[in-house]
Amino acid sequence: MKLKCPECDGDIEVKEVIEGEILSCNDCGAELEVNKKKDGSIELKVAESEGEDWGE
Amino acid sequence: MNMRVVVKIGGDLLKGDAPNVPLIEDLKELVEGRGLAIVHGGGDLVTEMAKRLGKEQRFIVSPEGFKSRYTDRETAEIYAMVMAGEINTKIVGLLQSFGINAIGLSGFDGGLLRAERKERLVIVDEQGRKRAIEGGYTGKITSVNTRLLEILMGEGYTPVISPLAMGMKFEPLNVDGDRTTSAVAKAIRADAVIYLTDVEGVLLDGKIVPKISIVEVDELLKRIGAGMSTKIHAAVDAVRGGVGRAIITSGFVERPILDALEGRRGTVISL
Repeated sequence: MKLKCPECDGDIEVKEVIEGEILSCNDCGAELEVNKKKDGSIELKVAESEGEDWGE
Repeated sequence: MNMRVVVKIGGDLLKGDAPNVPLIEDLKELVEGRGLAIVHGGGDLVTEMAKRLGKEQRFIVSPEGFKSRYTDRETAEIYAMVMAGEINTKIVGLLQSFGINAIGLSGFDGGLLRAERKERLVIVDEQGRKRAIEGGYTGKITSVNTRLLEILMGEGYTPVISPLAMGMKFEPLNVDGDRTTSAVAKAIRADAVIYLTDVEGVLLDGKIVPKISIVEVDELLKRIGAGMSTKIHAAVDAVRGGVGRAIITSGFVERPILDALEGRRGTVISL
């Protein structure tokens, strides 16, 4: 399956992916999150990055 | 009040039946003539209580290798119960028994600690895949009610703060104790912040590093383990935010705090 990087529009080739999986774009290096849409299709969105302090 | 100090007490310092007398005596000396605020940890005790209540704790690992509790709603409630209830009252009672006029506070009291809930966390799952998951009930501190601390400290009280913040929807949020300590130290413009732990300071090749400048910290972080690096990140955050110096040192020695403030122990992080 071929997907588009939302940052640089580069092609990203994927096989099996799961909801929430983080992929890296080989062209621009962006970290992208796999998002399954209501119609079952898959899109990539830029992953939100949260700091390491996840509490006690 | 001629010096302001914020001290972080780790969870391991709270274990056992006998109080850590050298530590309490140092705290008592700090109270006299100085402004003192204490922040405590206690994640292990939360895990123990959750186990006793039959609530399985899930731990997640970040891509950088940090292991953390996953705080769902039920865990957040247990967390609040243990942090603001069991641990906080235990410390306040202990300090009171030694003549320190301690006052227990969580982030809810007087809106002391407000935090934004983390929407998404990026973890590495059991199959080694990087994934984004719901953030649960962890947060990043956005404000500290400095005035409340000023009033209490000005009246001779010693605030004992649990790392439980109030979210934007007034929900309980698990916030990191070291980061909470930095936030409090920055808010009251502390002269020093001390992170007490179970080792004598930052170790590099088996030796204590006596001083770290925040300019050289990035290079050093590459060579230090995950547990200590969270403390260093918090220390750097405090110093960058205007705190005079941060010290990482052991809480299990004679004069743990006073020796550290006099430069005889620990690792000092400064500009």
